[in-house]
Amino acid sequence: MVLQTLPQYLCIGDVDMRCLLSNAQEALIQTPFKHLCKLYNAKIRLSLTKYGVSIALFRTMDLHILDHRLRVTSICKNGLVNFTHPLIKLIFLRKRTRCKFFSLTETPENFTVVLDEEGFKELQPSEHLQVESSVWLPLNVISNGNASNSSQAVGVTKIAKSVIAPLAQQHVSVFMLSTYQTDFILVREKDLAVVIHTLEEEFNIYREVGGEYSAVLSQDVRNGFQKNGKEAPQPTVHPVLIPPNQFCVMSLDPDTLPAIATTLIDALFYSSSPKEGALPSQDLDCIKFFSFSLIDGYVSLVMDTEAQRQFPADLLFTSSSGELWRMVRIGGQPLGFDECGIVAQISQPLADSDISAYYISTFSFDHALVPEEDIVSVTEMLQQHRKEPAC
Amino acid sequence: MSGSKPDILWSPHHADRYVICDSELGLYRIGPVGCSETKAGALPLSVETAATLLAINSDTPYMKCVAWYPKHEPECLLAVGQANGRVVLTSLGQSHNSKCKELMGKEFVPKHARQCNTLAWNPVDSNWLAAGLDKHRADFSVLIWDISSKFSPEASVAAEKIRLSSGDTDSGLVVTKPLYELGQNDACLSLCWLPRDQKLLLAGMHRNLAIFDLRNTSQKTFVNTKAIQGVTVDPHFPDRVASFFEGQVAIWDLRKFEKPVLTLTEQPKPLTKVAWCPTRMGLLATLTRDSNIIRLYDMQHTPTPIGDETEPTIIERSVQPSNSLIGSFAWHPTSQNRMVVVSAANRVMTDFTVFERISLAWSSTTSLMWACGRHLYECAEGVGGEGTVEKDIATKMRQRAQSRYGHDTVQVWKNHLLAGGDDPQLKSLWYTLFFMKQYTEDVEQKQQGSKQALVYSGIKNIVKSSSGTTENRRCWSGSDRQTDVPRFHSEERSLALRLCGWINRGPDINVEPFLRSLEGEGEWERAAAVALFNLDIRRAIQILNKGASAERGDLNLNVVAMALSGYTDEKSSLWREMCSSLRLQLKNPYLCVMFAFLTSEPGTYDGVLYESSVAVTDRVAFACMFLNDSQLPRYMEKLTSEMKEVGNLEGILLTGLTKDGVDLMESYVDRTGDVQTASFCMLKGSPGEVVKDPRVQCWIENYRNLLDAWRFWHKRAEFDIHRSKLDPSSKPLAQVFVSCNFCGKSISYSCSAMPHQGRGFSQYGVSGSPTKSKVTSCPGCRKPLPRCALCLMNMGTPVSNCPGTGHGTGKSDEKVDLTRENKLAQFNNWFTWCHNCRHGGHAGHILSWFRDHTECPVSACTCKCMQLDTTGNLVPSDSH
Repeated sequence: MVLQTLPQYLCIGDVDMRCLLSNAQEALIQTPFKHLCKLYNAKIRLSLTKYGVSIALFRTMDLHILDHRLRVTSICKNGLVNFTHPLIKLIFLRKRTRCKFFSLTETPENFTVVLDEEGFKELQPSEHLQVESSVWLPLNVISNGNASNSSQAVGVTKIAKSVIAPLAQQHVSVFMLSTYQTDFILVREKDLAVVIHTLEEEFNIYREVGGEYSAVLSQDVRNGFQKNGKEAPQPTVHPVLIPPNQFCVMSLDPDTLPAIATTLIDALFYSSSPKEGALPSQDLDCIKFFSFSLIDGYVSLVMDTEAQRQFPADLLFTSSSGELWRMVRIGGQPLGFDECGIVAQISQPLADSDISAYYISTFSFDHALVPEEDIVSVTEMLQQHRKEPAC
Repeated sequence: MSGSKPDILWSPHHADRYVICDSELGLYRIGPVGCSETKAGALPLSVETAATLLAINSDTPYMKCVAWYPKHEPECLLAVGQANGRVVLTSLGQSHNSKCKELMGKEFVPKHARQCNTLAWNPVDSNWLAAGLDKHRADFSVLIWDISSKFSPEASVAAEKIRLSSGDTDSGLVVTKPLYELGQNDACLSLCWLPRDQKLLLAGMHRNLAIFDLRNTSQKTFVNTKAIQGVTVDPHFPDRVASFFEGQVAIWDLRKFEKPVLTLTEQPKPLTKVAWCPTRMGLLATLTRDSNIIRLYDMQHTPTPIGDETEPTIIERSVQPSNSLIGSFAWHPTSQNRMVVVSAANRVMTDFTVFERISLAWSSTTSLMWACGRHLYECAEGVGGEGTVEKDIATKMRQRAQSRYGHDTVQVWKNHLLAGGDDPQLKSLWYTLFFMKQYTEDVEQKQQGSKQALVYSGIKNIVKSSSGTTENRRCWSGSDRQTDVPRFHSEERSLALRLCGWINRGPDINVEPFLRSLEGEGEWERAAAVALFNLDIRRAIQILNKGASAERGDLNLNVVAMALSGYTDEKSSLWREMCSSLRLQLKNPYLCVMFAFLTSEPGTYDGVLYESSVAVTDRVAFACMFLNDSQLPRYMEKLTSEMKEVGNLEGILLTGLTKDGVDLMESYVDRTGDVQTASFCMLKGSPGEVVKDPRVQCWIENYRNLLDAWRFWHKRAEFDIHRSKLDPSSKPLAQVFVSCNFCGKSISYSCSAMPHQGRGFSQYGVSGSPTKSKVTSCPGCRKPLPRCALCLMNMGTPVSNCPGTGHGTGKSDEKVDLTRENKLAQFNNWFTWCHNCRHGGHAGHILSWFRDHTECPVSACTCKCMQLDTTGNLVPSDSH
């Protein structure tokens, strides 16, 4: 038998059976391929042909390289006044800009703004605006067949093994952005060749060009591909901070955005002024964290329960179980953009214990959100993890 | 439903009810205007219909989509999808059905809230309701709810965690566990169940169309496309699906799902609704945003896709139901092509029926058929109503063809009688042609070829060449009074008079035979006028008297005669004065022009010359007598262009069969469509150039096609023979050759130098003398000709045993006596073969074989030769 690798199928030669298959026969045929399926995260598809039965191993996951060219910027707290106009335009006047990807995250340190080049034009260069020099491309994992693997773990956890870990091994730096709707993995444009080469084993990779998806073969990008030759230094273990706030991840009908405009503006731009009590500090106090994103017409909001109370309850969407999340902030000092493996560091143990998570990277730190009920085990796990390098 | 567009839903079971949903749900009943049921508050929808508001339901805020329960009972159950993803069952109007009460207010809540984009009830298992939701990172976007499911106890354990709004949990009306969950981590924008199987669901997901099979949920068929909105199955063709994206509609065939079978032309604005007409096959209506028109695509003639290259044709058109911008529309479920349209603002409704395209077809025999909707109309020419409506020219031509119109080449004038004899223009035309022919024959007898060419070029050209005109003043015959009316003579002028039919051959001008023939036909007034113009006032009076005393004569003619007899040439007499004014009251144009002639000054005869009711021949003859050399050509010119303009065939007298004549005939054909007369007339002339005029060729070809269309094949053949006699250049070249199997040479060509068809075949028994034909082998290589499949004789052997043709063939006079049977006997010897199986034989044998059989006579050949010949079974509709 010949194993052939096609963009979509792993094809294995024909089995000569010129009859319809009973279920038992089908199972019999499939057995030898079971391990391959596990290996490639694939499914078996049997089809009757003229010559017998054709067996195709079908990849269940698609990786989409989306048609956005993103910039990661940061606005320092006291420089915000210079940017309120473009930000309000980008948030509320969707029809007036051509920006399709916009995310604004407020942390105690600064405002992280991730946006596409159309949106980036709106921001005037200023001393208060820090811009990461490279262009980032968002990747999106789509489960192609069906999620019959009834794992409840979602988000970063789901893709931890298949995407984040391999990329970390290849020393590709990633910038994570989870939303209510999906998880985006941002990689630098220059790393794309490495990314495709690394992930093509496991995914059907499609690149979106002008709204149409076309399959990507690694040959297309082989030019310019070179392994990040440098040996990975032993990943630094960053300190984590677990503030006591409870967070919710929510969405909103974009049409009702005007209805919450004032509340949203208040929460985004004037949050720090009245209640100075919640100053960012390393103590156990709550930290300010508010994230708003408007991506391809979908709104996603992450805020703590205190902020949530200011919003009218009936307009915001959340899960019917009303789940709440706790945050794990990674990094004692600004992480920078070049270090790899930070996300993997957190997501790997979470994936091992099947805990779902959101992960939002900002200009300075990374933030993982884990379910409230799992925070104890996560804390323990991370502490254990911290000890390990020591021994 | 903040700021959202309204939508309309027809009741699936009550053809008179519909629901409009915008911020609330409104149930309306539609009925005729002025119906007792419609109350005062009825809203007019059209001239004939009005709607009454039956119920309003505003219980469900944030509506995003609505779907009407498909079963008969409970009658008015609606599922409403909300902005937060919840699906609520609600009802309109009061229903006392217990099942309905049980279901009312039931809510189906997804795990993670997000907008519900679409809802679809399963048409078979009506407990199943599919909901399509927006994307969530961890949740499914297609949920199938079972509306009969209870708030199950095991779910209530989980509900400990669930923080639902107070009051909901204990009512037992909230369902959180869907029957099926599909499409993880994806968005669903549109849904429809496929009629192929109850468990097949077509969903427009984010960037792809997917078919979910609930029998095996791990399996899905999908195709990547942007056209994922508004998926809808054609109710008449369960494999045809329409979907759209922005301004573009894609039509899919589920059997060949890889790519759309066709995409419709892109609209500049995004589409908002696409719907198949439930009452009409293949009619798709589309609506774009901010538009007041609905665009219809008729895929009636769309063939099922065969190859990639076949791009089927679609008929596209627009309708405008009202002036305002359209919010939404819905087809009526049963009433043909009817829809209700609701405006984008103010909920103005319009009842509108799309007028069906009319397709129309003329038959070759004057009847007209058109189809509109489900009706077929035929409009045939009335048989009874003669006299009131003129018969269609096609009917006339058909009748004329049957009466051999145009074929009388000796007594040419008789053709007008063959044409029915009731058309003065045709009469004039054929008489003119007759006189022209008569003259040329005369000239031939006299050995004077010089004028011959001139005759057919018309009087206009004849008088142009006029020379040596003499002028004389004659006194009134039968009166000794001298006239001062000058009359002109020349050879050409008398030729013109001859062509006008006034005089016979001979040098002297004697109109007496003409007068007598007119008297014979009872044309008293015309005869009197002709007599008067010949300055014979007494003869004129005599004719009038005769006319008055004749059977059914007009006694008024006596009065006219009296008035005539009082003629005086006094310039200022009372008679003159009264006649010139009162003549206009005379009804008969000839009487009128008589007085005009008598009262006008010499040389100024406008009253006569421009009296259009007087026959052109008479006016031309008059002009030839009384107009001088400078006036005459001017008048001719003027009259010719007038005739040409109106296409009056009488003008052929002037133009002759020249290019001018073709121009005139062109406007006649434009006016009447009578290509028959045009063809025959132009063939008569045959001065080469005229027949070669492309217009003439076009008329001839059209007439031949017309004869073919009527299945007048014999008539057409007759016409072709007639044509080739008059115009030898039109003889068709040989179209059929029989070549030898062995040497490949044409068996006719090789033995005869003449290229004409038929000639060479004469020796193969095709001619009228079968006894003489002995040639049964190829003249080129001497190999035998193939055998007839039936008599097994070599071709070339005459048919001997054909019944009814045996007698008379051996007679000595058979060359002359080409009776119909004889001709048929000749054809019986002809070669004929099937182009498909290549078997054949004598035409007569083959014909009689296929009278009783469908298959080829050769054993073991199953070719159905005769059925392959599309015209083989048609019978000519002319008798001979």
